[in-house]
Amino acid sequence: MDQFWNVTLTLLEGFTQNCTIFLLTLVMAIPLGILLSFGSMSKFFPLKGFVRAIVWAIRGTPLLLQLFVVFYIPSLVWDISFNRMTAAMIAFVINYAAYFSEIFRGGMEGISKGQYEAGQVLGMKKSQIFFRIILMQVIKRIVTPISNEIITLIKDTSLARVIMVPEMLKVSERFTVQGLIWPLFYTGVFFLLFNGVLTLLFSFMEKKLNYYKG
Amino acid sequence: MLKVEHIRKSFGKNVVLRDISFSLKKGEVLSIIGSSGSGKTTLLRCLNFLETPQHGKVSVGGETVFDSEDESSRKESEIRKHRLHFGLVFQNFNLFPQYTVIDNIILAPTLMAKEQLRQHGFCKGADNMKQAQRMIRETAETLLQKVGLSEKSDAYPGSLSGGQQQRVAIARALAMEPDILCFDEPTSALDPELTGEVLQVIRGLKNTETTMIVVTHEIGFARDVADRIIFMDDGLIEEEGTPQQVIDNPHSARTREFLARFKQFGD
Repeated sequence: MDQFWNVTLTLLEGFTQNCTIFLLTLVMAIPLGILLSFGSMSKFFPLKGFVRAIVWAIRGTPLLLQLFVVFYIPSLVWDISFNRMTAAMIAFVINYAAYFSEIFRGGMEGISKGQYEAGQVLGMKKSQIFFRIILMQVIKRIVTPISNEIITLIKDTSLARVIMVPEMLKVSERFTVQGLIWPLFYTGVFFLLFNGVLTLLFSFMEKKLNYYKG
Repeated sequence: MLKVEHIRKSFGKNVVLRDISFSLKKGEVLSIIGSSGSGKTTLLRCLNFLETPQHGKVSVGGETVFDSEDESSRKESEIRKHRLHFGLVFQNFNLFPQYTVIDNIILAPTLMAKEQLRQHGFCKGADNMKQAQRMIRETAETLLQKVGLSEKSDAYPGSLSGGQQQRVAIARALAMEPDILCFDEPTSALDPELTGEVLQVIRGLKNTETTMIVVTHEIGFARDVADRIIFMDDGLIEEEGTPQQVIDNPHSARTREFLARFKQFGD
């Protein structure tokens, strides 16, 4: 029993790292993603091309590689070193912002031109059209794809171990090398519970947004 | 009431409106007919400031609302000031799906009232938002009654039939009290059995002396309701006159050809 509590506490300590990466990434990647999505829809071609190229590069390469790059390259080339957590945060935020931006862009571009025009002919201002008519429809469209990303995010946080962030999988490995196998499965339970709560939350939101069709 | 002079509009190399001039008296109903691609929808969109003509002038009640010579009439703020002379009912309704029927109608008037109260301290006899809101709601309810949908006030557009949605769209456009109400093929997206109810509402508006421009493929309806008909072809007004002149005794060969195709299918 002592061993169980010991393992639980150690894993929990690791899991706080996962949760920190998860929360900070969400808080920063969503606004950054919105900014990027506007950039990728810009009528100013250089900006649009630039943003789309970045998004393509980030989505086209492994997050694992991005973690290595952010952590090792600055210290090797410019002699600047980030602490592990900062490096992990930079990689995660940029990576997830790129994915979020594509979801936002899809959501925005899916709204028919007629919705904007209907607002225009009724004398509404651009900002009123966006906040009163478009935004809600975009949110409804993106809840499902965004929730998929968010569920993937908590699982991805364990990748931070490759730059030695002491997250949950990293610490459970300590038990495995001692010959203790079950803590490895136990980590799975943490993720399952966490995602179970998220899934409930998202299905509640979807249900709330289902008050109208279309 | 409305005077349109020498409107020209092209998209890139594609010239859609070559030289359109016409005028409209208060309370008159004008119907624009013509084949697809003749430019009738683009003309309506120009009047509603959804497109900017390269050339031409539009005035309403003597006030110039657009003049291609005058750069300032292309400015966003100027356009917003002038566009409410016109209302537009779209082919595919474009109701706001997240709002109930009544909220679709009161959204724009409410925003407008807020702005006017802030700027001028009054709005159509109301000097506070609560009073303005009550007036707007009353107007909206009257309009819903007019289009026969009072009982659908709290329904969402997604649960309505196409015909009902279009009737809500008409009420929504009327709520802004436009001088001229434009219809862009209001029944084209509807199942045939639903067109009647929408045409009935438009007919009802004619009796209230609403000035209207109706772009339509319903030749029979145009003959019934319109005081004047314009037949457009290839960006030009090919023929203009009373329904008797244009539909029953067309002068132009193009008009005859167009109408023959409709008569073949029995309207």
